[in-house]
Amino acid sequence: MYMIVTIFKQLTPFLITLFLWRLSAYFWNPAGILCLIPVFYYTFVRPIKNFAIFGLIFCFLIDYRGDLALFWTCLYCLFYAINGFQKYIDFQHTDNNAIYIFMTFIGVGFFLLTIYGFSWINFINNIWLFVWLSVLYTPITALDNWATS
Amino acid sequence: MSYKLVQIIKSSLAAIAVPVFIIYIMVAKPDYTLMNGLAHVVLPVAHGVGSVITWPVRAIGQSADWIKETAQIRHENEVLRAKLDEALANKYNCDIAVLENQKLEHEINVKKASPYKSVIADIQFDDSVFHHNNFLINRGKKDGLSKGMIVVSFDNRMVGTVTDCGSQFCRVRALSDHDTNIAIRISGSDISGFLQGNGKSRASIGFFNDTQFVGRKGLKVMTSNISGVLPSGIYIGEMVDEKNVDILRPNNISRVMVLQYNDIGSYK
Repeated sequence: MYMIVTIFKQLTPFLITLFLWRLSAYFWNPAGILCLIPVFYYTFVRPIKNFAIFGLIFCFLIDYRGDLALFWTCLYCLFYAINGFQKYIDFQHTDNNAIYIFMTFIGVGFFLLTIYGFSWINFINNIWLFVWLSVLYTPITALDNWATS
Repeated sequence: MSYKLVQIIKSSLAAIAVPVFIIYIMVAKPDYTLMNGLAHVVLPVAHGVGSVITWPVRAIGQSADWIKETAQIRHENEVLRAKLDEALANKYNCDIAVLENQKLEHEINVKKASPYKSVIADIQFDDSVFHHNNFLINRGKKDGLSKGMIVVSFDNRMVGTVTDCGSQFCRVRALSDHDTNIAIRISGSDISGFLQGNGKSRASIGFFNDTQFVGRKGLKVMTSNISGVLPSGIYIGEMVDEKNVDILRPNNISRVMVLQYNDIGSYK
């Protein structure tokens, strides 16, 4: 039983990511973009061994589904590199599971997506997704704490 | 290797990956063969595994969709049923209108085909009481009708005679009236006699000019011009036994035709 629980705890980050990506839905989860939350969280805030490759794959899958040509993949790599090289901000010990850094991450992404081929619809849509991901970040990360505790 | 060194190597690889990806995007545009090829492998795998772990959620979502769809179909069904009922009601009205139209057309054709001048009238009241059987029609002196004219149905069967005329109505004595006593002739013969109403749907005939004559079922009875009271040759009915004739009663019809017979033995 203990072994099963341990395996489950180890698989939880991967399952959550896969779960959120698979449940893609128009308006609420386009291209499975909600899986950016566990990808960010398990890569930068509570790093899991070998999760970075998994996160990279799911950024790639988001890009492929959304026809974004490696946009989130590049941004993910960029943040990964920045996080690895800098010492000023420790993502793992930031308040509120580093939600502000996550908001910065997706904020930069949505900003770039907005100014690239600007339209008001696209602008409003990106604001909606920014707010939606920011709102869901706390409960999803709290769910992880509950599941893996 | 220390943790820090590994971290630096990973970060360096990530940093290198960014320009590599950007260059790839610029070079491979618009086909992205490599990227698409990779996606063709990764996507089905991720999709398949994701389908397995998300099936309860998707099943619930599917059920919710079905419930919603069922509710929509039910609502639509109710609306369509209401429309169908309305359409059927309209159809019945149309059917009635068509039948009415056919009836009117038939009546107009009958009137046009008649060699006599005639007036079409509606039966307003059927005043059958005891052995008397009168009815009122909605045409009168203003329409050229007068006492003594013959009232027939649209299949040219005699119904009665006009006994009184107002300006806009006439009273008609039906053949079944007890006071009806008209000259008749057996169709296809020279045998004449008299028909008398008795308040029933069958009138009695008798007083034949041939005392040997015995009536039988199936013989046709027509009007006779004896004494010039009635025009000759108007069909009255068929004998049902040796003394009774099946006649047309006003309660079986709603509209009649009045032949403008002028009491002198000829039509106008």
